[in-house]
Amino acid sequence: MSRAGEMIRMFDRSKRVRWLLVILIVVSLAIITIDYRGKGNGPFEKIGHVALTVLSPIQHGLVTIFRPIGNFFAGFTEVPGLRARVSALQRQVAELRAGENSVAEVQRENDSLRRLLGIRDRYNLDTVAAQVIGVSPSNFERTVFIDRGSRSGVKKDMPVIAGDGLVGRVIRVGPTTSEVLLLIDRTSAVASRVVSSGETGLLEGDGSEVARLELFNPDAKLAVGDRIVTSGYDRGLFPPGIPVGTVVSAPPAQSNLSRVVEIQPFVDFSSLDYVLLVVGQTAAATPSPTGSAVP
Amino acid sequence: MIWKRTLLLFLLSITGLAFETSVFGRATLVGAKPELLLLMVVAVGMSEGPAFGATAGFVMGLSTDLVLQLPAGVSALTFTIIGYVVGRVRAQVQSPGAWLPMVMVSVATFLGELFYAGFNRVLGEHFGALSVLRAAVLAAAYNCLLTPFVFPIVRALAARLRPRAAEVGL
Repeated sequence: MSRAGEMIRMFDRSKRVRWLLVILIVVSLAIITIDYRGKGNGPFEKIGHVALTVLSPIQHGLVTIFRPIGNFFAGFTEVPGLRARVSALQRQVAELRAGENSVAEVQRENDSLRRLLGIRDRYNLDTVAAQVIGVSPSNFERTVFIDRGSRSGVKKDMPVIAGDGLVGRVIRVGPTTSEVLLLIDRTSAVASRVVSSGETGLLEGDGSEVARLELFNPDAKLAVGDRIVTSGYDRGLFPPGIPVGTVVSAPPAQSNLSRVVEIQPFVDFSSLDYVLLVVGQTAAATPSPTGSAVP
Repeated sequence: MIWKRTLLLFLLSITGLAFETSVFGRATLVGAKPELLLLMVVAVGMSEGPAFGATAGFVMGLSTDLVLQLPAGVSALTFTIIGYVVGRVRAQVQSPGAWLPMVMVSVATFLGELFYAGFNRVLGEHFGALSVLRAAVLAAAYNCLLTPFVFPIVRALAARLRPRAAEVGL
C-alpha cells in the first residue's frame, strides 16, 4: 500500500471522527434546549425516574456493603476539618466515658430512631420513615436519596426531618425511591423564625455546611446561640416550629433592607441514616411557641 | 460487534453511578466528591481513542444528568468534549509514562468542573467563583488519587470488550 493511500485513509478517518464529535455536541445542545424549555417536566424527567428505579437496588446493596468503608474513608479524607473539632470531641469523650463504657452501632441506630419518634410525637406529625440510601455525588448540589417513593405515599415537596430537626424537602419521586433537597443546598429556601424574638426571615443554603438567614427586619435583635425554627408562615411547605439550627455569626445589617446571619443546622448532613417524611400534621398540633423542645 | 461496546458503556455507567451515589457520596475529600464517571471517560478516551472517547463521554454524561436530575445534556456535552480531547492528546504522545493517566485525569477533571459550572451559569445557575475553583481543584486531586485503582480496571474491561475491527485512534 502506498504512503499516499495510507495518508488519505487516515485523513478520511479523522474527518469521520470530527463529524461524530459535531453530531454529539449538536445532540447535547438539543437535549439542553429541550430540557431547559421543559422546566423540569420534559421527557428527560421521566427517563430519569426509570433510570433511578433501576439503579436503586444496586445503590441499596452497595450502601449496605460499603458504608463502614465509606465512613472510614470519609473520616480519613476529612482530617484537616476534623482537627478543629478534636478538643471539643475530647471533652465530649470524657463526659461519655463517665456515663457509659461503650457505644455500639446498634445503640447509635436505636438513639437515632428514638429521636425520630420523639420529634414526630412532639410536633404531632403524620410521617413515613425512610432510610438514606445514597448521596448526590455532585459538588454543586446537596441532595440525598431515600428508599421510599410514590408507592409509600411520598409526594413532591414533602418536608423531611431527622431526629435533630429539619432536613429539607422532596424534589423528585420515583416508585420506590425519592430525592431530597437538603436545606443547605444553594436552591433551598425555608421560611424561618428566631425563637427568642419571633423575628422572621428566609433561610437559604449556599452549598456549605452552614446556612444563611436573611431577616426581614434589619434591626432585629438576636445573638449567637439563638435558636431558629420553621415559621410555617402563610401555609408554607414546612410545619411551624420544626427546629432548624442555631445562630453562629450575627454581624450587623449591611443595608437598611435586610440582615443576614449564619446558621449552623441542628442536623449533621454527613451522617444521615434515617429520616421522616412529613405526610401531614394532626389538628392537635401545637408546636411550642418558644421552641423549647429544640434539641 | 456493537453489542460489546454497548455492554461496556452500560457496565461502566451503572457501576460508576452506583458507586458515586453510595460510596463516594459520603467519602469526601475536604468536602469535595470525586468525578468517577469523568475519570472513566478519560480512561476510555486514552485506551480507545477520540471517537469512542467522545461516544462514551456522551452516554455516561447523559446517564449522570438523567439519574442525578442535573440539567439534561450539560454533563453529556462536557464529557463528550473531554473524551474526544483526551483521545486526541493521547494519540499525540509518542511514549506515554506511567504518570500520564494521572496528569490527564487531573487536568480533565479540573477543566470539566470549570466547563460544567460555566455552562450552567449560561443557563442561569449561579455558582460562586471561589467555590467552583475549590471544587475543581479538590475533585481533580481526588480523581488523581483514584486513578491508579480505577484506570487499570476500566482499561482491562475496555480491552476485553473491544471489537476486533476497531483500531485505537478511530
